Amino acid sequence: MRFTLLVSIPLLLAAQDETRNPLTSPADAAAGAKTFRSHCSECHGLKGEGGRGPSLATGVFYHGSTDADLLRNISDGIPGTEMPGLFYSPDRVWQVVTYLRSLNARESVAGDRQNGAKLFRSKNCAQCHRIQGQGGRLGPDLSQIGRNRAVAHIRAAIVDPDADVRQRYWFVSATDKQGRTNNGFLMNEDTYTIQFMDMGERLHSLNKADLREFRVEKTSKMPSYKGALTESELNDLTAYLTSLRPTGGAR
Amino acid sequence: MKSTILLVLATAAWAQVTFDRLKNAPNEPGQWMTYSGRYDGWRYSALDQIRRDNARNLKVKWVYQMPVTHLVETSPIVADGVMYFTEPPSNVVAVDAETGRQFWRYRRELPKKINVCCGQVNRGVAVLGDKVFVGTVDAHLVALDAKTGDVLWDVEVANYQHGYSVTVAPLIVKDMVICGIAGGEYGIRGFLDAYDVANGKRRWRFWTIPGPGEKGNETWSGESWKTGGGSTWVTGSYDAAQNLIIWGVGNPSPDWNGDSRLGDNLYSDSAIALDADTGKLKWHFQFVPHDVHDWDAVQVPVLVDDEWRGQRRKLVYWAHRNGFYYVLDRETGKFLTGRAFATQTWAKGLDDNGRPIRLPNIDPTPEGVYIYPGVQGATNWYSPSYSPRTKLFYLSAWENRSVYRKGDQEYTPGNRYIGSVPLIDLPDDPGHGAIRALNPKTGEKVWEYKLHTKPWAGLLSTAGDVVFGGSDEGHIFALDAQTGRELWRQNTGGVIRANAMSYMSRGKQVVAVAAGSSIFTFELGDAR
Repeated sequence: MRFTLLVSIPLLLAAQDETRNPLTSPADAAAGAKTFRSHCSECHGLKGEGGRGPSLATGVFYHGSTDADLLRNISDGIPGTEMPGLFYSPDRVWQVVTYLRSLNARESVAGDRQNGAKLFRSKNCAQCHRIQGQGGRLGPDLSQIGRNRAVAHIRAAIVDPDADVRQRYWFVSATDKQGRTNNGFLMNEDTYTIQFMDMGERLHSLNKADLREFRVEKTSKMPSYKGALTESELNDLTAYLTSLRPTGGAR
Repeated sequence: MKSTILLVLATAAWAQVTFDRLKNAPNEPGQWMTYSGRYDGWRYSALDQIRRDNARNLKVKWVYQMPVTHLVETSPIVADGVMYFTEPPSNVVAVDAETGRQFWRYRRELPKKINVCCGQVNRGVAVLGDKVFVGTVDAHLVALDAKTGDVLWDVEVANYQHGYSVTVAPLIVKDMVICGIAGGEYGIRGFLDAYDVANGKRRWRFWTIPGPGEKGNETWSGESWKTGGGSTWVTGSYDAAQNLIIWGVGNPSPDWNGDSRLGDNLYSDSAIALDADTGKLKWHFQFVPHDVHDWDAVQVPVLVDDEWRGQRRKLVYWAHRNGFYYVLDRETGKFLTGRAFATQTWAKGLDDNGRPIRLPNIDPTPEGVYIYPGVQGATNWYSPSYSPRTKLFYLSAWENRSVYRKGDQEYTPGNRYIGSVPLIDLPDDPGHGAIRALNPKTGEKVWEYKLHTKPWAGLLSTAGDVVFGGSDEGHIFALDAQTGRELWRQNTGGVIRANAMSYMSRGKQVVAVAAGSSIFTFELGDAR
């Protein structure tokens, strides 16, 4: 079988986008999920959300996003990276591909995107969040949030910002020996120093030895919009954010 | 006088490394001829130019940048003015130890598809006579010409397509290359091998998982011994007086689901002592019977002869991945004492035989259980160090926990066989690390140097009473061996996941460590 594939490489190259996953049933996805959990999740996360390896839940794969690309990269590994190959039959790898596709199937959101965009402005979200270069820098840039986060995650982040606070948005409070305090969002930290962006979007790098006091809070500084938005407004805002995806082809 | 001798040796044209020189390595502190520098596993240098009072003057001597992207875990070797180290996956480089300029580079051609659990890494070479020995991720052992890097022989240790790989630095004992195996996440059956340095013929193999009819096989239910793991991926030590090779054995497979391998699972997670000539087992001590947390015994055994409760005794010091520090008798393997050196939540303590007294509800579950230490352990493969001057045991320690999950297990050749995947790093609770000095007689902490992150770098102690270590933050640092006070540090700009070593070049003491994709060397600046 492998021989046949080798012989027909030129043919495959010419028609590589035509190679389609033959095993795409829900049962295949479930089988693929099991294989994924055993072999892939250590690096890519239990739900493909990423970890030591990149997120696989975005629909865009750095080393190629076609079915053929995924079959090759999962079977053979990716040279020059820590991504190993699997010693499995193509069928079993196709099932993993099916599972991966299920992770980034676009969910439909009931909501009025246009009204969501209006709410984004009127509720002052842009004070801290940036979309396509417009808005503040204190919170995460949301230009591609629809690609990077599931619908449920986006909705939860609006009503319960503390549910999942990335380390990059932990809140630093640093007081120097003269008693002056600076607050901001953690960008980096090691044994000796700390780097953060203050509330005026200025970057700081301080020696811990120069500080009298230094605290890191792991809660979010974003206000919860629970109760501040009606259910239908929440749907509209979620629909708008979910629509924020890169334009043009996958690179 | 000593420096004159060293100078002569350094300029002598290709004085060869002999077994006698390896045995007497402590008498040649200007060299670093084995993985740990000496057979007793101390990773201690008797050089004393770099001291507590001048370490602040350390400066970069030279840097060698490797054109590779894999993690670098190599420990350099220096013999007679030449430094030998590996580049991952399985390349070898020889450079001038004074300038870092390359003499030769052996580039291993590898099959496309290789499975190594945790990166295609390599921890270094062994040297004897006119040969340099390297293990490869496709599970071969290769002898190279020390002057040219040409291949002299190349033997298969095991079938890489079944998850076997060699990442360990081999160890020379007599006229043999002792070589371990990796693959504890792939359901291998582990072993330790000895090969003839002359031609690569195998002299003996000790199976770390006993077969039917052999003692210990009864500690594996059913056929589980066939895929029981028990890798040997970190270089052991050699007790020349007893002619014993003392080596650590890795986790049983599958890692986190022990249902198919009921029993103690000997000799996984054990220290083993083998007769160097025959490979026969003299004694063993199992740190974790029936391990379900992946707590390999992959630490360098530290062999010390010292007073023990009024008697002179041959001892082994061992800080294990499971969070406990142990002292063993080196003639019998008998447990002498032990205590926790880091936070652990899985055992009430150790009984009189050193067997852990387990707490309830510590085994992995489908939902997951939180246990200290985490999957990577309270320490791991990176070297500890022992200084005969301070009589302290130094190690890189972790304070962290993981979520241990249990899941399905299915053995297929060459694929992972681990029984689910634990959550190794908790995003909101990353833990931290420390360099610790222990009183080796009791395991009590004498001092610690706290780190914000968890270090994957080993330690080097020296006769200047300096301890060198490194961090994932990219700093190499020098600490006061008595107090742990920081004397000097340098940001190298890349993670340090290797062990430092020291040698003499043109009359100056040099400290070398791999950081990022580079070998960094340091020596004292003008004011020494």
